[in-house]
Amino acid sequence: MFLVLATAGILIAAADINPFYTDPYKLEYPDYFGNRISIPADNPTTKQGVYLGRMLFYETKLSSSKTISCASCHQQKLAFADSKAFSSGINDMPTKRNSMSLSNLLWVRNFFWDGRAKGLEQQATFPLNDPHEMGNYLEQAVKDLQRTKEYPPLFKAAFGTTEITVDRLTKAIAQFERTLISANAPYDKYLRGEYKPTPEELNGMELFMNSPVPSKNSRGANCAQCHGTPKMYMELFHNNGLDSIPKDIGREEITGMENDRGRFRVATLRNIELTAPYMHDGRFKTLEEVLDHYNEHILSSRTLSLSLQDRSNVEKGKTLGLTAQEKSNIISFLKMLTDTDFVNDPRFANPHLKKVK
Amino acid sequence: MKKNIFALTLLLSMFFTTFSTTLWAQKATKEAAVKVEGEVLKTLSLTLSDLAKLPHVEAIMKDRDGQLQHYSGVPVFEILKQAGVTLGKELKGENLTKYMLVRSSDGYEVVFSLAELDPVFTNRVIILADQKDGKPLADRVGPFRLVVPDENRPARSVLEVSNLIIRFAKE
Repeated sequence: MFLVLATAGILIAAADINPFYTDPYKLEYPDYFGNRISIPADNPTTKQGVYLGRMLFYETKLSSSKTISCASCHQQKLAFADSKAFSSGINDMPTKRNSMSLSNLLWVRNFFWDGRAKGLEQQATFPLNDPHEMGNYLEQAVKDLQRTKEYPPLFKAAFGTTEITVDRLTKAIAQFERTLISANAPYDKYLRGEYKPTPEELNGMELFMNSPVPSKNSRGANCAQCHGTPKMYMELFHNNGLDSIPKDIGREEITGMENDRGRFRVATLRNIELTAPYMHDGRFKTLEEVLDHYNEHILSSRTLSLSLQDRSNVEKGKTLGLTAQEKSNIISFLKMLTDTDFVNDPRFANPHLKKVK
Repeated sequence: MKKNIFALTLLLSMFFTTFSTTLWAQKATKEAAVKVEGEVLKTLSLTLSDLAKLPHVEAIMKDRDGQLQHYSGVPVFEILKQAGVTLGKELKGENLTKYMLVRSSDGYEVVFSLAELDPVFTNRVIILADQKDGKPLADRVGPFRLVVPDENRPARSVLEVSNLIIRFAKE
């Protein structure tokens, strides 16, 4: 009898703590992306959490100046990047590095150009707390949102109570970011057998995927060595030969290891046509400049990626040795990665705009 | 009284040992090391000088161009044994579903099943190499690399090894 009462007591207590219901959000993606995804056990993706996260992603109240939201530097029409070499934070302060495109983050394990954040929840705190980006306003923003009419009910729907905390806020943003899946570019349609590439695109794709083997007269650009797999990136940090002595030491700043000097994340090439300028410092304005770099201008240093050394289409050649036509064909292939559905998807658009209408 | 003095001396020496180890460990954080972690009884962090103290063997592998390369290092099996990984007599039952994830400092990762590393199962000796032709390994290759003999591709002979992580395969 006592046991029954005790159990009932526990059940009532549990129901008291947890009287809310959330709908699971179904993350849909192609099988060829694989299932090595990261969703923390304490932050399952729910429809209520994703909606709240989307509201917060576009919320300028999270910055000290009330002018900057995540979406200021991560604009949907630009595949959630911006068009500047260095983004502007509050008071037009430039950030240290180029804004990264946000897509297919569900598979990423180490965030930022230097991989300093282990998950999306942790990632979100950095720009919010950065004095130059959003003005280190997070603690105060939480209090501000608590006083609004709209946010407490949204937090209740997502997390069970109206209490707004830094932890819940970053969890909701992370949930929204996990839904940003780009998988309907012409390249995806090609992989599904629904799109026939042009001869230029096909040649570009072959060059992209293949390593050069001049002895077998097999031409390649070796891009897939780091940007391979249909996700178009690998979880790697490489020095891609931009500088002999890098001004920005990249991952070394995080690890303290000399062999990480000038190493940066291998960025995804999905929607790359939309995310100019390129590299961690936005030094290249066009894809043509990027191809010229990899083909002709790799600079040597102690930490230069081995994948960028002694790879040539010419016997004993020191540079990649692609022709102008080949470079142009690779760019044609890269444009096959532009997913117009992704950049126009209403599920990812600014939810605050509805109210204006 | 004598007992007390003895206890005090012991306490003091323990304090100084811990203190000096901590100091040394702090200095060593910038030094390259291979961490052995996960399903281990004892987490290890091996620097070049730690590895140098362990018995070395030779291993040969083909490079990308098919040329034979001679390396010297410590069998991975011996390192894992030091960390208390279930090998030898213990490598049976569910332990046969364990794997070793090898991570490079650039983020590159590959796996081996534990049985691939255990002399009870195989004669192939995979080593964590710290020398090639009697010299330390070159930049971007070392200071530690895996050498996996008799494989047609060198893709699992990981460069710049930073972590050996033992895990259970969870379906």
